[in-house]
Amino acid sequence: MLEVKNIKYSYNSDYQALRGVSLKVEKGEMVALLGKNGAGKSTLFLHLNGIYEPDEGQVLIDGEELKYDKKSLLKFRQKVGIVFQNPDDQIFAPTVEEDVAFGPLNLGLPMEEVQDRVEYALARVGMTGYEKTAPHHLSGGQKKRVAIAGILAMKPEIMVLDEPTAGLDPQGVVDLSKLLRELNDEGITIIISTHEVDLVPNYAQRVFVLVDGQLIGEGTPKEIFAKPEILQQAHLKVPIVTELFQQLEEEGFDMQDDYPLTIDEAKDKFLKLLKN
Amino acid sequence: MKFDMDYIAHHNELTETNPYFKLFLTIILLIVTLALDNLYFDVIIFIVMSIVILAIAKISFKSYLKFLSLPMAFLVITCIFLLLFFGSGQVIYETGIFGIVVTTDSFHYAVYTFMRVLACLPCLGFLALTTPIAKILNCLRRMYVPKILIEIALLMYNTIFIFLNEIDTMRKAQDSRLGYNTYWTSFKSLGALASTIFLRSLDKSETLQFALDSRGYSGELPIYEPRKKED
Repeated sequence: MLEVKNIKYSYNSDYQALRGVSLKVEKGEMVALLGKNGAGKSTLFLHLNGIYEPDEGQVLIDGEELKYDKKSLLKFRQKVGIVFQNPDDQIFAPTVEEDVAFGPLNLGLPMEEVQDRVEYALARVGMTGYEKTAPHHLSGGQKKRVAIAGILAMKPEIMVLDEPTAGLDPQGVVDLSKLLRELNDEGITIIISTHEVDLVPNYAQRVFVLVDGQLIGEGTPKEIFAKPEILQQAHLKVPIVTELFQQLEEEGFDMQDDYPLTIDEAKDKFLKLLKN
Repeated sequence: MKFDMDYIAHHNELTETNPYFKLFLTIILLIVTLALDNLYFDVIIFIVMSIVILAIAKISFKSYLKFLSLPMAFLVITCIFLLLFFGSGQVIYETGIFGIVVTTDSFHYAVYTFMRVLACLPCLGFLALTTPIAKILNCLRRMYVPKILIEIALLMYNTIFIFLNEIDTMRKAQDSRLGYNTYWTSFKSLGALASTIFLRSLDKSETLQFALDSRGYSGELPIYEPRKKED
């Protein structure tokens, strides 16, 4: 379980990036953090494993307060893994396997165990066979997978992904969503920041909306996407499927306040409407 | 065709050959070539190593020529200087400009230097073109080269590709807006490029630090030993 209590953070005296953010994510959940660029998503994420120390407020992981001495930081960084938006920022080693091994080695694990984890993590993201490849010879989607493998190899309880779909091609996005859902099924808590709303209802059980360093909404995707005022404030839209049904309602179809968010829901709704 | 030495180093017939062997062979050959004052030996080394690179490592002739051409420019310039401005002894050719002359001594220097360096190039190429940097660094690490040097080399090696990519993109963006149309705009664009790339590098280095810290970086890069394949 991860809890953030009233976090405030400023980069300098004129600009407060986070203005009192509180949120709680239960174990095994998969949640999305929505917000436009510059809303403070990345800043918030860097607080979750102690890269930034908040000016005020606390971060609690499994009920334990995050401390900023070397030993506790190592412990918390094992528990909370961050996948950075740009894999180039994260992957630094000359070969794929060395990069994936970096985290486990820092945890001081025996070489045998590290080798097992590297094999496991690469297999998990479907990158077996690329062990000796240089990262700059990989495609964007492959780099993303390696970046995720690097975090997976640390066996985190909570995985935080900053705009994971940015820069991926459509097939890459589909594969990534599938992978994340599988990881979630295996018990890893997943937090994703994004501003691409179409995919959110597919994976997120809960959604947080961040605007100018403040949370202005929290709830299931159904609840959030039914509140136009929140979306407007956050410069977001409803998923394209939902938009279709809202327009259909204007044409005289009664939706009974139930707008589909995903393709599957839309299909059922259509069939129902057609039968009537 | 773009000449990507790193790609070649990863994709040739000798990539998987023992890097220690390659490293030591290169060092020994370099020392011998530099120590021996023998033109025939230089020529033989040049030919033998070129054959190794072209026929055994199967590196394309074009790539090999490109590899040779860059240092060759320096070599030729250096030797011209040696020929004209060094040594004493009997004058064998007068250029007629400012009394610059070629002497027996300077001729000897120039030819021997040229041949020696020429022989060293394929020796070095043998290592550089067939061995990925990661492997060379690993060897050096086991040979107790100071850790700090290896770590800097390793981080530089990886960030240099991102750096070059960044420059390439920015240059194209500037070029698309006619940033290199005249001499004057070229100067201005290049200046803007340099300052932006500097700021961006600082920014990137901070993010890299965060990413490393997130994975428990303790100020020292650990060494991974891959499992030996059983086959």
